[in-house]
Amino acid sequence: MPNPLKLPMIPRALRNLVSKPATRRYPFEIRPRFAGARGTIEFDVETCNYCMLCARRCPAAAITVSREERTWAIEQLTCIACGVCVDVCSKHSLSMSVNSRAVHLRSEVGPQGQRPGHEEWHKPAPAATDIPAVAGVPAPAASQGA
Amino acid sequence: MRRTTIPFGPQHPVLPEPLVLDLILEDEKVIDAIPTIGYIHRGLEMMVERVEYTEMGFVVERICGICSFMHGMGYCVSLESIMNVEVPERAGWLRLIWAEISRIQSHLLWLGLGADAFGFENLFMHCWRMREQILDIFEKTTGGRIIHSVNRIGGVKRDISDSELAAILVQLQELGEAFKTTARVFGTDPSIAHRLGGVGVLSMEDARAVDAVGPMARASGIATDTRLIGANFYDRIELEPVTETAGDCLARVVVRLREIDQSIDIVRQAIEKMPKGEGLPLENKPRGNPNGEVFTRLEQPRGEVLYYVKANGTKNLERFRARTPTFANIPAMIKLVKGCDLADVPNIILTIDPCISCTER
Ligand code: SF4
Ligand code: SF4
Repeated sequence: MPNPLKLPMIPRALRNLVSKPATRRYPFEIRPRFAGARGTIEFDVETCNYCMLCARRCPAAAITVSREERTWAIEQLTCIACGVCVDVCSKHSLSMSVNSRAVHLRSEVGPQGQRPGHEEWHKPAPAATDIPAVAGVPAPAASQGA
Repeated sequence: MRRTTIPFGPQHPVLPEPLVLDLILEDEKVIDAIPTIGYIHRGLEMMVERVEYTEMGFVVERICGICSFMHGMGYCVSLESIMNVEVPERAGWLRLIWAEISRIQSHLLWLGLGADAFGFENLFMHCWRMREQILDIFEKTTGGRIIHSVNRIGGVKRDISDSELAAILVQLQELGEAFKTTARVFGTDPSIAHRLGGVGVLSMEDARAVDAVGPMARASGIATDTRLIGANFYDRIELEPVTETAGDCLARVVVRLREIDQSIDIVRQAIEKMPKGEGLPLENKPRGNPNGEVFTRLEQPRGEVLYYVKANGTKNLERFRARTPTFANIPAMIKLVKGCDLADVPNIILTIDPCISCTER
């Protein structure tokens, strides 16, 4: 039997008994995220021109953009928060917020097992006269709005 | 004598990840061990066919949650050498600093897991509490605790201001001081010495014969360290590989304890030597598509990692392959397990610091 006085951990353990815990009481005490932490992607529907670059470059294929229907959608739970889409968007429509992703309930899983976290924006097409002609892209039909 | 076969894993209290060993026993002695891997193969190397080379780095980072920074760095270094991109000096130093901080993080994580495996829960908590401070440094500087996504081909995405670097160094040095008490426990506690001393001895000749890498080889007295090849600014750092001669489980623990101090010192040297100032260039963007092939070697916390990248002038690479240190250390592990007692198997397996996610990708 080793001598307990020679066990170097014993004084440490005794000190720990009376000291403050190293952990936080989580739901009651939340450490704010550091500035610059990578959280969720935020989208500004007003500036986006549906160029689809973000969708093409996203390594997780989390973004779907439809130029014809003028919708932009992201699966927040598929996104890996790499920040590539923010870098490539020339319109600065995307930004990375520090907020962590929302927590979802099991009841939010779709009937076919679709994951929650789908966010979608739709911008009605401007009147046909303001659409600049883009070679090869048919002018979008007037839509019914979001 | 009759032989018994005991499956060890894929679910086992000491294993953080699924590895299977079929242990063939005679009484309590292990006669043979047959390893099986493949439980968490995710096909990440195959994803080069779908993901463009510019974004593949983010996939490569996800090979492993412990050495993710170095995987990202290894990928970017490979692509940089194919495309002849020179990394701006400050970016190279920042990479080195992050790499060393992630080595500290990895060793603290492993020391905790090791302590847990030999039944020292209290010590486990202490190691992981310190690791938490390192993860905070990562979250502050890169934006992520585990997956950092700061490496870009041609540099890094984020800068750390000089004042922040100085603060990080102070924090690391304080952590190193506080860690001394914990390190003393590992070194002097009689129960640890009893449990690990003289167990799983890998002699220097055996370590050479089975090509052990990293701390595993260094604990057997082989002064090997891929950082010594001097790539990625390591040539400007004074660095002496940490070696021990005993080759047993305790020696492998001690090597990692000492490497934590060494890494803190490397960070200090790097902060002293790197160019200072705001707004220095961090990224030289590559042009065109890569064409050619390259092998890259890096020293990860677990040992030498090897990347093979073959590009064919298109946006998607033709082949990407990583040979990770755990894979290289499996033969050594099997060698050690043969002939040991069943009760020592968990400690021997853990002291190679297995990272099965890396091994299987
Ligand atoms: S890159 Fe920007 S502008 Fe283009 S589709 Fe994406 S969010 Fe819209
Ligand atoms: S942050 Fe990365 S994974 Fe997430 S949507 Fe943007 S590009 Fe895709």
